[in-house]
Amino acid sequence: MKLVLSTSNIMSGGPSVIRRPTFEKSNTELTSSLRENFTVHQQTSTSTNAAALSSRPSFRTWTTQEGETLFIPSHTTNPLSEPREAYDITVKLFYLPNIPVDRRCVQTREAIKLVLGQLGMESIDLLIVSFPGISFDADDEDSDLDDAESQPSVPASAEEGGCFDSESVPEDIGTMLTTWRTLEKLHGEKMVSKLGIAEFGVQRLSKFLPQTKVKPAVDQINVRDCCVVPKPLILYAKKEGIELLTHNDCTNVLPRGTLREILGSGAKGAGILAGEGNDERLKGNVEPQWVVKYTAVVKDRGVVESKGYFAVAELNEG
Amino acid sequence: MARSEYPITLTTFPRLGTDDCTTPSYPVSGQKLRSQFVPDEIANPHIRFPTLAANIRARRGRKVEVNVPVFRDENTPWPWKDPSVDYGLHKWPEDDDVRNGAAKENYIYMDAMAFGMGSCCLQITFQAKNIEEGRKMYDQLSPLGPILLALTAATPIYKGFLADTDVRWNQISRAVDDRTPEELGEKPLANDRWRLPKSRYASNSTYISQDPRLRKEYLDPDLVVDQDLKRRLLDGGMDDLLATHFAHLFIRDPIVVFAEDLETLDLSKADHFENLQSTNWQHMRFKPPPPGSDMGWRVEFRPMEIQITDFENAAFSIFIVLITRAILSFDLNFYIPIQRVSENMETAHIRDAVSTQKFYFRKNPFSSRPTHRGANNTPNGTFDSPASTTSNSRPPSPFGPVEDEFELMTINEVINGQVSSDGDAFPGLIPLVESYLNSMNVDVETRCELARYLDLIRKRADGTYWTAAKWIREYVKKHPKYGKDSVVGEEIEFDLLKAAEQITRMEGRDGLGWEMLGKRR
Repeated sequence: MKLVLSTSNIMSGGPSVIRRPTFEKSNTELTSSLRENFTVHQQTSTSTNAAALSSRPSFRTWTTQEGETLFIPSHTTNPLSEPREAYDITVKLFYLPNIPVDRRCVQTREAIKLVLGQLGMESIDLLIVSFPGISFDADDEDSDLDDAESQPSVPASAEEGGCFDSESVPEDIGTMLTTWRTLEKLHGEKMVSKLGIAEFGVQRLSKFLPQTKVKPAVDQINVRDCCVVPKPLILYAKKEGIELLTHNDCTNVLPRGTLREILGSGAKGAGILAGEGNDERLKGNVEPQWVVKYTAVVKDRGVVESKGYFAVAELNEG
Repeated sequence: MARSEYPITLTTFPRLGTDDCTTPSYPVSGQKLRSQFVPDEIANPHIRFPTLAANIRARRGRKVEVNVPVFRDENTPWPWKDPSVDYGLHKWPEDDDVRNGAAKENYIYMDAMAFGMGSCCLQITFQAKNIEEGRKMYDQLSPLGPILLALTAATPIYKGFLADTDVRWNQISRAVDDRTPEELGEKPLANDRWRLPKSRYASNSTYISQDPRLRKEYLDPDLVVDQDLKRRLLDGGMDDLLATHFAHLFIRDPIVVFAEDLETLDLSKADHFENLQSTNWQHMRFKPPPPGSDMGWRVEFRPMEIQITDFENAAFSIFIVLITRAILSFDLNFYIPIQRVSENMETAHIRDAVSTQKFYFRKNPFSSRPTHRGANNTPNGTFDSPASTTSNSRPPSPFGPVEDEFELMTINEVINGQVSSDGDAFPGLIPLVESYLNSMNVDVETRCELARYLDLIRKRADGTYWTAAKWIREYVKKHPKYGKDSVVGEEIEFDLLKAAEQITRMEGRDGLGWEMLGKRR
């Protein structure tokens, strides 16, 4: 069975991760906003079903199963309020480690479809893909560290935040290019106006670029380093017409075991996966497949109207 | 500009009102200002300005009284009597003011509009997408006013004396206070319509947004409004909150009206309204579009003090811009009772308030209602339609007592966030802005520049860097000519202004002013 987890719009009203005193990296933003969204939906279902007040409602009351896909929580759309041209819609797709690369073509289309459905739109402006195991630091370049002394210090909350990706090593350029072909196709279909990659240094870029048909318009770099981005990279990006953007995401956005905990029957779990030998809840191994993050910004005013995540996993009966 | 001139941005000229403080020199005690400290020539000669000053004085029935507590240093005589006050002048009737007690013990005394309106500040005007957004920004920025006033403090000297306050606000307030003795409550009401608790230059007294989060407890039940005028606005179709706002502005008289504007009433213009609006100096201003323009609704954020360097002024300007973007994106809620905002404004004046005082501030800026906007409104072409649930119509959380919504916080807590384990802490304005930026596509160079700006504000708030007020105090204190007697003499002033010039040029790169700016390159 496929599990589709959604945070809904985390910007306003509903679940909000920035309720927390410290602002966390995307992995914590993802997990805590998933938890909050589940809680809100559980409560909603409880309040409409007085009999269930005493105990936690069955997950069936606030999730929806369509064939072999379970939507957690039940799918609600949240269409944007203004016309398409008012927005800058950015989607970042995180391919996860240890997932067969040949699934990515289907996964990418699926992710875009979910986001477009959520926002009620037909296309996106920028699709950034994050390959597992790459982190910008690891890309060994000459950085002008002598600049560092005068730089503003980064608050502790922006530090790693459990981001370290020990699960995987970067894949080779060839594999990335295979994936890129899928993105180029989406670009050709006008579903995506611009493509982007994340954490690429000069070396990786210079191997990657000559083999692309559609060049990446964007290279996203972790914000922690934004004031010490190596000059060679800045120059190279300028020359190639690639915009260097900042981000604050973890490469390893969904560490192993996280979903099992969120969905599990423990005190902090959503009560979807069965614990020790009980009941109607689902059994099996949860294998996260991919995560997608989306933001819709009203261009003229710089207002973020919608932001959220979908995480998709396979539940394999063990 | 002459070779010997250089533009600097200090809030006030430190020895304004001392002998011979202008170049060229003019005699004081002129017919228009009737000030014993500043000459008439200091005011803009356009007829509007001397008339403004004269009419304020006429309405008050005496000169304005700007009394600032003097800073008591080791050698400051105590009780302190402002030695620059001349009690023996008999040129104008207003010269009696000081003999009638206008100058107070332990206060620096000033007597002209120039001492207030001669100040410089940093005001930011925002364009709203429509009137609703304008009203929301007006309300949400209001509680931030006193915080930013304290954080930008830059005014420790008046008329050549160290003051015991750090900001300009109340001095301007008093310098244009046109209230009559009846309005001030010094005499029983006979001719005037009401008692007025505030000067026409003062902090906001009401909120205007039609926001379900605006509780009636946040409004001032004793707000003075012109009820007849409010009735007319309501009858004309204006909603109650906005009618209240404008009827509050109209409790003041227009101070200057040009006779020719009264000959015919031209309803295609808003001059009479603008005249009143622009002489109601509150810390926020709600600006309707001028007739016949496509300018839109604007909101002006007015409390901040000007900083010495362009870098700092850019930092604070951009910080406020980013806060408005975060307010709109996260739908933030900073409401506290408006009277607490006024109290905060007073607190902001206290010397070194930024590191010693606490301010009322809302603990949870997030909305608790799950508002799934537009749910069910599934357009075509969406994901292959799993049964959409109905929208979440959870009843709104019942409101708790208003007093539980806010508490006293330090500036550092407001800006950088409260440290707390229970998750109930205020996240801090900078973390909110950072979180907003993390949701945006920002290029590395811009983000780096923004990081420098935010770093300045973060460190001003946590005390790592000094406010200009503190820096100027320390500069005076360390000056060899300073006699620890609160007096800022001419040589100290000269050196201080030269230092300000150097800081303006170098922005701390040569080390001067590093206490304010950090070590910059």
